[in-house]
Formats: sequence, structure tokens, C-alpha cells
Amino acid sequence: MNFAGIPERIPEGKYRVVKGAAAREVEMSETLRFLADDLQLMALSFMAIVYILRIRWLLKFKASRERQAPSGSLNTSSLKGIVYSWANIAMPWSMESTRQMIFFYMQFMIFHLAVAANIGMSFVIPYAPGLIKPILVVRALQALFAAAFLIGCYRMYRRFSNPAIRLISTPDDIFSLGLLTVWSFVSIFAAPNRPDLGEGALRLYFILTAFFLIYVPFSKISHYLYYPFTRFYFGRTMGHRGVYPLKRSPEPKPTRG
Amino acid sequence: MPQAARSHKATKVVERMQKKLNRQLVGSLVACVHCGMCTQSCHYVLSNPDDPTYAPAYKADQIRKIFKRNFDWTGKVFPWWVKAKDIRSDEDLEKLKDIVFGKCTNCRRCSLNCPMGVDFATLNRMARGLLVSVGVMPEGVAVVSKDQWEIGNQMGVLPQDYLETLEWLSDELENEFHDPAARIPIDKADADVVYAINPREVKYDPRTISDAARIFYLAGENWTMPSEGWDMTNFGLFSGDDELGAAVAQRVYEKVIELRGKRLVLSECGHGYRSTRCEGPNWSGNGVPFVMESSVVTMLRYIKEGRIRVDKERNKEVVTFHDSCNNARSCGFYEEPRELLNLVVTDFREMYPNRAENYCCTGGGGAMSMSEYTPQRLKSGKIKADQLKATGAKVVVTSCHNCVDGLTDLIRHYKLGMKVAQLVNLVANAMIIPEKVVLPVEALLPAEALRLKGFKILVVDDEPDILTFLSAVLEDQGATVIQAADGEEALTLILKEKPDLVTLDLSMPGKDGGYVFDEIRKNPDIASTKICIITGKPELRRLIYERPVAPPDGYLDKPINEETLLTNIHKILEMKHSEGHA
Repeated sequence: MNFAGIPERIPEGKYRVVKGAAAREVEMSETLRFLADDLQLMALSFMAIVYILRIRWLLKFKASRERQAPSGSLNTSSLKGIVYSWANIAMPWSMESTRQMIFFYMQFMIFHLAVAANIGMSFVIPYAPGLIKPILVVRALQALFAAAFLIGCYRMYRRFSNPAIRLISTPDDIFSLGLLTVWSFVSIFAAPNRPDLGEGALRLYFILTAFFLIYVPFSKISHYLYYPFTRFYFGRTMGHRGVYPLKRSPEPKPTRG
Repeated sequence: MPQAARSHKATKVVERMQKKLNRQLVGSLVACVHCGMCTQSCHYVLSNPDDPTYAPAYKADQIRKIFKRNFDWTGKVFPWWVKAKDIRSDEDLEKLKDIVFGKCTNCRRCSLNCPMGVDFATLNRMARGLLVSVGVMPEGVAVVSKDQWEIGNQMGVLPQDYLETLEWLSDELENEFHDPAARIPIDKADADVVYAINPREVKYDPRTISDAARIFYLAGENWTMPSEGWDMTNFGLFSGDDELGAAVAQRVYEKVIELRGKRLVLSECGHGYRSTRCEGPNWSGNGVPFVMESSVVTMLRYIKEGRIRVDKERNKEVVTFHDSCNNARSCGFYEEPRELLNLVVTDFREMYPNRAENYCCTGGGGAMSMSEYTPQRLKSGKIKADQLKATGAKVVVTSCHNCVDGLTDLIRHYKLGMKVAQLVNLVANAMIIPEKVVLPVEALLPAEALRLKGFKILVVDDEPDILTFLSAVLEDQGATVIQAADGEEALTLILKEKPDLVTLDLSMPGKDGGYVFDEIRKNPDIASTKICIITGKPELRRLIYERPVAPPDGYLDKPINEETLLTNIHKILEMKHSEGHA
């Protein structure tokens, strides 16, 4: 392999990472190469297979449909309802729960952005390391992962301290949150991508990433797989019935006079 | 240790769950991340902050764990990891019953507040249906479902009673307008409007029928009411029984088709509107060849088209509007009532939150028919009571009969001093009657009609419908009526008010009617109070009459009609009358 960013075997049994014309040679052990490349591909393949089976299983169940004439506002439709429902996650004003718990919503956004960035980084390091070469990018990623780590810790505390959340928590909930929190923490040290300074953090990062990929289909972390389905059907129903997009009449704020 | 065999009922529940699962339900069962965002959206949680078992996610998990254990791979292989648990015994089913019937009104507020789109209300309804299919349900649900299957309406109104009520209302209408054409047409073919109602209107609130009839008459509508298939309510929605849902909806649709009606107008009932307009075609598997609309839309159209004229100055009290969950959250029906209200009242004030975000009246999901859960229902109404109080309104208007009962109950329990009305009442009151019309019917009532004037009667019943009905009938006869919704309140009021007569229900939460009866008879200060027991449990008669105290003065079975009630009350009180009452 000798295209941009792909590890290239060199005679000494070490690897160098090449980025365009300005190649920066980074020595990497065979173990790290395996962890960053082969292991990740194996884990990803496994996850993809399980996900395909999972979606196939979900689609085996027949979807019910709305047979009645549309109701509610003439300005709504099934399609609008679906779009609104999918976009709901980016509209904290659309639900009372997110309006009233805006701090919680911000945590959610940061945490999920960090997880997405983390997954992205697991591809970038072995295949396009140049993308995270600028120190600003590295620092931004580290800040994001650190925030996710802190949020993870807080969420763990909340899961044990809030009676309602404690009651509904399963071992999977706690383990999944713990896994992502630890992963975020390790990512802080993996983000600089400097195996020349020691491979420990990167090795741990890729082991955790591979474990994450294998564990995800069996855990609640795979909720993102179901999100498009649940919100599609809920949005379709609510759009057809004129409930979505939701119409609000906010309480007027008290005045001084 | 070997696991105990699953009971027959539990086996059936699991088997039937497999058949009921569709993609939407499975999505809702697998997608929950236990984030807890739904928690603060539930009126049960908001009114019971110290009890985490009211959290929607927890309640959903009681259904989810059965699904996971039996149908989901992780739950099958590692049940403890995802808290998957099978349902094994009849006791397990009873526990589930108390959650899905007693701790949720299927109001769908949590569903709208779930970031993942988990529709807990639909899950809960599925679980209700599974339990009902094996006979595990609150007694009230069983009774009402049976009536709707067998008699054709959920309150067991017999065809003769229904038709006689319409006849009587027609006579009133004719008297009021001095017009032989001012009658309620029955089974008129090719009508533009076929009007279907809630049986509660026949049994407890016939004034809503007469108000609607006045509106149709003055609008010059070509309308009719069907002799069968007139009940637009549908207990299948509450019980989760799709077969009942389909049968009831189909009954209504077939009658409209038989009459060649052009439009089916549904009276103001939230669950009836949702069942007939929005769910019926899904349950029955067919679309319908006619238009369906709420009577609110019909009334609004009449005003806009100038077919009726209204004067909002006739409704000058401060009014707020309560959105029914079924109308607002499941049918998107919330703007038209506001538009209509603004045309017929002078001072309309929103309650907050409102529309699809409004709080449940706490009487939804069939809760009003499940008296065993009444105490927790009333306690969970605290958030609703606070919301009502904050409006400063004197009248709360709603387009739902269930909400009328639920709100009436809360208003009494929390002593809010408000009245509950429906739009049909306000529109009828605001209508400008053309010159030719004569005096209102009240003026025509003979003095003989007020035979109970001067008597004070305490009505004791935990069912708001019954309280309203008994009170209305007795007040119409001139009696001063006081109400008690439970045994404790009844005893307090008897000692304080010294009524001439007590009508006493037997099955009530807390101190039941039997206890109250004993206490009255054993207390020399009130032992001579006349007592008429009115109960849905005739089998308890022997237990009452065998007590070592003076027997009750009357013993009537529910359901009770106006005529039977008055005949017996007159009889009991005339006995007292002859004993020296002024």
C-alpha cells in the first residue's frame, strides 16, 4: 500500500506513514500496525455482519400503516412528520424534555460528537494521519475527548445517584457508559498519534476501539441503528395525524409592569 | 434450581406477544437507552417525585424485559446483563396489570418527549391487550368491554332507553321551538350529517344531546342520529383489544353506510374521536367512504357560514381550555376548539403547557372505570390541579367526556372551585335564537316537577359519572344535593350537614359503603338518616341486610335510570315527609 496516509511496509519491519509529498516517517511496530489496521477491519466486519442480521430481523416484523384520512393541520403530512422527527435530535426546542434540560442536551451533543470524532480518528490514524497532524486539530480533539470523559463521569454518577435512573439501569447501561468514558479518556492520549514517543496509548486505544466495535451490536450503544427506524415511523404517524411539526404556544414571560 | 413452569396464562401472553409485535413496537422495545428524558414528562412522576416506579422508562421496562427474554438475542443469552426477565406466574401478570392499567393513562406525553422516538403509550396499550386476552384486567374494564361487545355501547344503554331518551329530548325541543319539525331524526336516510355520541350523554348528560340538537335545528341541518351503531366511543382503545376496537368502529361505519350518510359527526369525546376517526380504519383494516369530523368543526363551520349566530357576551366567565390527550397528541386536533371558543366566550385564557404538550386530565386510558386505582389517580392529578389553578379561570372547557369526568373529580378533590363545560354547551348558550322561538323549557316545568324541594340529599359514590348523574337528577327535582366521593368524606358530611337522605355506593376505595352504613346506623345522632344503597354489586345485599342494625331504606342496583331512582327516592322521602318533615 502506498497511497496517501496508508501505512507502508519498509524493510526493517517497521512502518512509516506517508502523507502526500511531505512524508513524515513515523515508526510503528508490527503489533500496533495489526491493532490499527487488521484488527479494526476484522472488528468492523464483524459489526457490519451482526448489524445486517439485526436489521434483517427488525424488517421481518411487519410495519403497521395509517389507513385513515390525514387529520389535524392541513400544513402537515407524513413526509413533513418524518423529516421533523429525524431532525428532532438537532432541535432541542422541539421537545419539552430537551427545553427543560438544556444542560443535559448539551452534554448529549458533546458526548455524541466526541464518540463520532473518536470513531473517525480510528480511521484517520492508520489511513490519513495527515488530517490530525496540525496541533490545533489535536488539541481540539483532546478537548472534545476530555469533555466527553467528564460528561461520562457525571453521567455515571447520575446513573447511580438518581433513584429513577438507578432503577432502570442495567449492567449493559453501566458497562456501555463506562466503556465509552474510558475510551474517551484513552483517546486524549492517542490523539497526538506519536508512536515514536511510546505506543502504549495507541495500542490501548485501538484495542478498546476494536472491543467497542465488537460489543456495540449487542449493547444499547447500537441505539443509533434503531433511531432512523423508530423516528421514521413515529414521525410518519404524527405527521399523518397533524401532530408533527409540533405547534407550541409558549407561556408569556412575566413583565415588570 | 429448576425454574417453575410458566402458568397457562403467562404462556398465552408470551405467545400472543409474538403475534402482536410489529416493526414500530419492536423499534420501541429495542431503542430505549434509559436516558431518563421521559421521566419529567409524566404527570404520575411529577405528582409523585419520590416514587421512581412511575418513570415511563421503568414502566416500559416491565414489558420490555419480557420481550428481551423471549424474543431478543442478548436477553435470551445473557438475561441478567440487560435485565431481561420472563413472565412466569399469574402473580406476575397481576403485577403487570397494576402497572399498565394503574400507573399509566396512555396519554402519550412521554412518547412525544423521548429523543429516541420510543412510543411507550403504544407499548402500554399492547401490554393491556395481552393481559385482557387472558382475562387479567381491572373489573371495570371487564364490565365495560362486555357491555360494548354485547349491548353495543360501553355503558350498557339498552336500545329502548336510548330511543326513549331521544324521544323525550325531541319533545323538549319541539316544545321549546313550537315547531313539530324540531325533533331528533332517527335513521333518516341520505342525511348530510349522521351524529354519533358518547353513551355517557344518554345516561348522565342528556343536555349535551339537546344542545347539539338545538344547534343542528337552528343551522337547518339535514341530520340524523342512528338507532344502532350510535356509540362513537371505543373501549378497545383503552383495553388494548384490537378486535373490540375493530368491531365497535365497524358497527358505526356500517350504520352510516346503510343510511347513506355523507358525513359522520362525532360529539365531543377525545377517545371516541381518536378511535372512530384515527384508529378505527386501522383496526378494521379498511378505509371509510365518508367524511368524519368532530362536532367542534361542524359548529365552527355553522358560525363561519352564518348558519347560526352567536353572542359571546352570554358566556362572560373566565374560561380556559384543556386539550384532550387523544385529540391533541394522537389526532392533531387542537386549533379548532380555540377558534370556536374565541367566538363564543369573552375571556379565554390559555393554560400552560397546552395543545400536544398539555397534561393529562388523569381520567384517560379508561382510568375512570378503574375505581381500584382512584386514590393514586387523584394523587397523580396534583400537577394538573396546579395547572388549572394557575389559569385563574372559573370554567375549564374540554372537548372530551372522559376529561369532563376526570377534571370534575380533580376539581372537587383539590377544591379548585371551577366548573367543567364542553363547547357544545357554550355554543348553545351563546346562540341567538330567532324571534319566533318561545320561552325556554324550564319555564314550562310544572310545579309538580320540584317534588324534592326542601330536602337535603347526600350522594356518595366514587365514580364521578354516577355522582354527576344522581346529583343532576335530584337537583332537577329541587333537592339540595351535596356530594362525597369516598366513605370518609361521607361520614364527615353526614355529621356536619345532617341530610334527609344518603344515597350510598358500596364499592369505594378506603372506607367502603358497608362501613359507612354501619357507622351511620350505630351513631344515635344520625342513625335515623334515610339510606338508599345504590350499588353495582347486588350480591352484597344479603351482607347488608344481615347486619345487626336497622336495614337500609332502599337498595337499588346499577345501572339505574332516572325513573327508577326518582320513584324510590320519592317513596323513601315521603315516608319521612309523613313523619313530620316540612
